[in-house]
Amino acid sequence: MNDQKRNDFLNAINPFNKNSMTPTLLIVYALMILIFSLINPLFISLANIKSIVANLTISGIMAVGLTTVILTGNFDISVGSILGVSAIVCAKLYNIGDTYIPLPVVILAGIAVGAAIGAINGFLVTVVGINSIITTLGTLAVFRGLAYLYGTETAQIYYKPYVFMGRGYVFKHVPLTLIYFIVILVLMYVVLRFTKFGRNVYQVGANLQAARLAGVSIKKTTFYTFIISGITAGIGGILLSSQLSFAQGVFGLGYEFKILAICVLGGISLAGGRGTLVGIIVATFILGSISNGLALSKVPIEWRDAFEGIILIIAIMVDSIRISRRALLRA
Amino acid sequence: MKKKSFKITDTYILLIILVVLVAFFSLVNRQFIAYNNISTMLKNMVLTGVLALGLTPLMIARGLDISFGNSISLTSVIMAVLYTVFGLNLWLTLLIGILVAALIGFINGLLIEKFNLIPIILTLGTMAILQALALVTANTFTQTYSILMLTDQLYYFSTRTFLKIPLPLYVLIVLIFIFWFVLTKTKFGRTIYLIGANPKVAYLCGVKVKKVKILLYIFMGFITGIGGVLSVALTGVGASYQGAKLVLPTLSAVLLGGISLMGGSGSALGTLIGVLIVTVIFNGLSVLNVPSYYIQLFQGIALILIVAAYEIRNKKIQII
Repeated sequence: MNDQKRNDFLNAINPFNKNSMTPTLLIVYALMILIFSLINPLFISLANIKSIVANLTISGIMAVGLTTVILTGNFDISVGSILGVSAIVCAKLYNIGDTYIPLPVVILAGIAVGAAIGAINGFLVTVVGINSIITTLGTLAVFRGLAYLYGTETAQIYYKPYVFMGRGYVFKHVPLTLIYFIVILVLMYVVLRFTKFGRNVYQVGANLQAARLAGVSIKKTTFYTFIISGITAGIGGILLSSQLSFAQGVFGLGYEFKILAICVLGGISLAGGRGTLVGIIVATFILGSISNGLALSKVPIEWRDAFEGIILIIAIMVDSIRISRRALLRA
Repeated sequence: MKKKSFKITDTYILLIILVVLVAFFSLVNRQFIAYNNISTMLKNMVLTGVLALGLTPLMIARGLDISFGNSISLTSVIMAVLYTVFGLNLWLTLLIGILVAALIGFINGLLIEKFNLIPIILTLGTMAILQALALVTANTFTQTYSILMLTDQLYYFSTRTFLKIPLPLYVLIVLIFIFWFVLTKTKFGRTIYLIGANPKVAYLCGVKVKKVKILLYIFMGFITGIGGVLSVALTGVGASYQGAKLVLPTLSAVLLGGISLMGGSGSALGTLIGVLIVTVIFNGLSVLNVPSYYIQLFQGIALILIVAAYEIRNKKIQII
């Protein structure tokens, strides 16, 4: 009995168990690096690796938030718009006349905007009861419209510490954003794996009926996951505006493909209730390197979204094959 | 008996909303009911209407396609390139455009049904691919993102009227009749409703559910192709980024017309009323000089409100 428990636990945290996609992803990533660096050796130069890592962490952080939503069997495709709104709010706070607003307040404002929009999504999905995809398709349009409205002209940010937050390096070569990514990832990993809330998230996604019978508050759990996704998207907005030191209405346009692709590629099943954050790390690096690699291989910029679309489709096909295989095994 | 009267009120409510909206906008701005505005409005409605009609049987059978907007971008770009760069015959060009769109529908349907994918997620992926294809095609052949395609025939078609009704509107009228007839009077129509109401029962009844649904996806593609032709005819441009704007109004119109996301309900006439309401709202807003950013905002709010209203009503019915 005790052995069994220990084995279960080791399986759960071991990224190389037989149910995990991570080994395959690592091989894919190695091949990708090989091909891109053969086409253009600059791809594996230190400067380029630093810029790739600094960029991909934003989508990685958002993918961590979206993972919790997908684990409950819902979707949030408004994350790109949330990023846009939060980036503009933060940038505008630095452009109000002569008033000086301290850094923590701005960061809190960006996070609060994300949380508020996440709460709207969560309210519509849990209390009103609308299908989550349609809800977030609607909020995607609403908040993209708002972002355009208040971001028609570029809002510049001249405040040094804010910019350093996204562009800075520690130990000369490690981007600060990578550290935020790791902290958020580990935090969410612990929450999902070792807390009651995390258990509930998996339970709601795996079997709604059983969760209800077990006394799990489905609405509350789902609502909180939408808030988490909103917060991570808000953080994404803060970091993007700080890296670029300005904000525009188009920030985050089309991010929904990328983030969703990272989650599915990372092994988070769209049926809900399955997958861990371990896969997300590799998936983030794969998707983050692709656009950079394509640019260095002189592929026209229009193709970038197409590759993200193709990866999304392949990932959901693999996911669906895995779901049907599990169903066969169970029968 | 009682159930039937309930259904009628549902359509009546939508009709009343439509009348109220028209009255409101014409009171605020006299221009709204001028013949010119109405004819432009109806002409603009054709594209949304045709697409909404194509979605109707698909969504009744629990399918969904949100890549049609980008599919229109791609087909209109392909048609414009074939016509202006390669100098192909006009009718052949239009035929190829429609076939390409039908092929895209077929691929969507095949992937969704063979791999049991979630329709909206797959078509989200194809959306990105189609958009990229449209941009690349336009850029490689003409170095621009929107290609002029001016022809006498299409110009004639989009500007002339017959019995004071613009010609494109006849396409919509014919399609509405066909869809209404197929959905209500034929065995195939009943099959579609059966699949939507309960796919398992349909399967046990001997319906080839997957085949029928793939057929519906191909059909949606075909309709999208017609939409592409209409868009080229109305604008005279094969634009690589215009189509994506059609998705939200069309989806709102279809859902407003009484189609449930759970499948099994909806009708061609309901969709028509939904399209009319959505068109009136957005045309009314632009007559009132509301900036276009607000219109996108309203589109999102409208979509959420529509689905929320239906959802709340459904809950009330369940409680009763």
